Amino acid sequence: MSAFVQILTGFLGSLGFSVLFQLRGKKLFFAAFGGFLSWSLYLLFGLFFQSEPLQYFLSAVAVTIYSEILARILKTPTSTFLVSSIVPLIPGGALYNTMCRALDTDFTVFTESAAHTGSLALSLAAGIVAVSSVMKIINTVTVSFKKR
Amino acid sequence: MDYNELLTCALDIGELMLISGAEIGRVEDSVKRIVSAYDIARADIFTITSNIVVTLTPESGAPITQTRRILKYETDLEKLHSLNHLSRYICRVKPDTDYIAKEIARIRKMAPHKLITQVAASALIAGSFTIFFGGKFTDGLISALIGAIVKLLVYAIDKTQVNAVFSNLICSAVASLIAFAFVRIGAGQDVSKIIIGNIMLLIPGIALTNSMRDLINGDIIAGTLRLCEAAVIALAIAGGFILVSLLFGGVAA
Repeated sequence: MSAFVQILTGFLGSLGFSVLFQLRGKKLFFAAFGGFLSWSLYLLFGLFFQSEPLQYFLSAVAVTIYSEILARILKTPTSTFLVSSIVPLIPGGALYNTMCRALDTDFTVFTESAAHTGSLALSLAAGIVAVSSVMKIINTVTVSFKKR
Repeated sequence: MDYNELLTCALDIGELMLISGAEIGRVEDSVKRIVSAYDIARADIFTITSNIVVTLTPESGAPITQTRRILKYETDLEKLHSLNHLSRYICRVKPDTDYIAKEIARIRKMAPHKLITQVAASALIAGSFTIFFGGKFTDGLISALIGAIVKLLVYAIDKTQVNAVFSNLICSAVASLIAFAFVRIGAGQDVSKIIIGNIMLLIPGIALTNSMRDLINGDIIAGTLRLCEAAVIALAIAGGFILVSLLFGGVAA
């Protein structure tokens, strides 16, 4: 039940951001659907792996592939879909916890929490970048292939 | 062919792309492709988040340089889409500069969503993420209300052209203040869930993601600048929240 609620609200959150980023029409829907996808996959990977950063990484990889493919089909920058799709993965909850820890006097708990937030953000970025880099290689190869 | 006009057009496109939320690599690549579509011996382009410099050397004639200073970003992916489309078209068809200028003016005028739509979207985001992180439905409603207020506040503060640190500090403080007030009077249950929803609304997610992409793409200066910018804004958000929490005697997380 809570998984269903999270996936639904993740989708709605991405939809809201797609509107704030001025998307319209079917691009709006696809961007919001990316949010649905990213959190569903995060939960799905959670069944197989017990590591939160790894789940973030794999989910980011999947959703970046989704954005790259759609971007090529609809002839638009990858950002169009990627930016809204990863919204549920942005570690806002972890960041909030870190902020609360900053109010505590126990410094070790705070640094631990900050490191955790950092590791999630890094996993997310690594996932995106891994796919973008591979796509770049594929692009270069196909372009030079066509030129022959 | 007037190369000054061509350069102005290319820079207009680059500038608008950067403002609308493109990565540095895309901006440099687009400007380069656009000018290279005409007879150019050499084009040198340097872009960071706040500046674009292009020097163009035509096949015949002296090199020309133009610079743009970018002061403000306004993420508009629909504009970015149109600009991307236009630059592809330019590379393919090589139209004259009058046509390009007309197209740029048209894209510049593309209206964003109405304020009321944006307020509703902000309410949806804040409310959704409060529930997403485990808040009750009533907390979600309160969060949505705060989200709407925050968006209106952002809109009003933008008009005064105050810096991003101050504006984020104020927004975060106001959101926290209202959240605490609602919980104090007993309408809301979990103040942290209400605040998390609004933090998701304020968090510089796009700047953070783009900074990572810039860094890995090799645009180290631009990536570092954007990363610092995102970090400073995150600190401002934390500052506003911490200020209010201390006034209310801390939170039980």
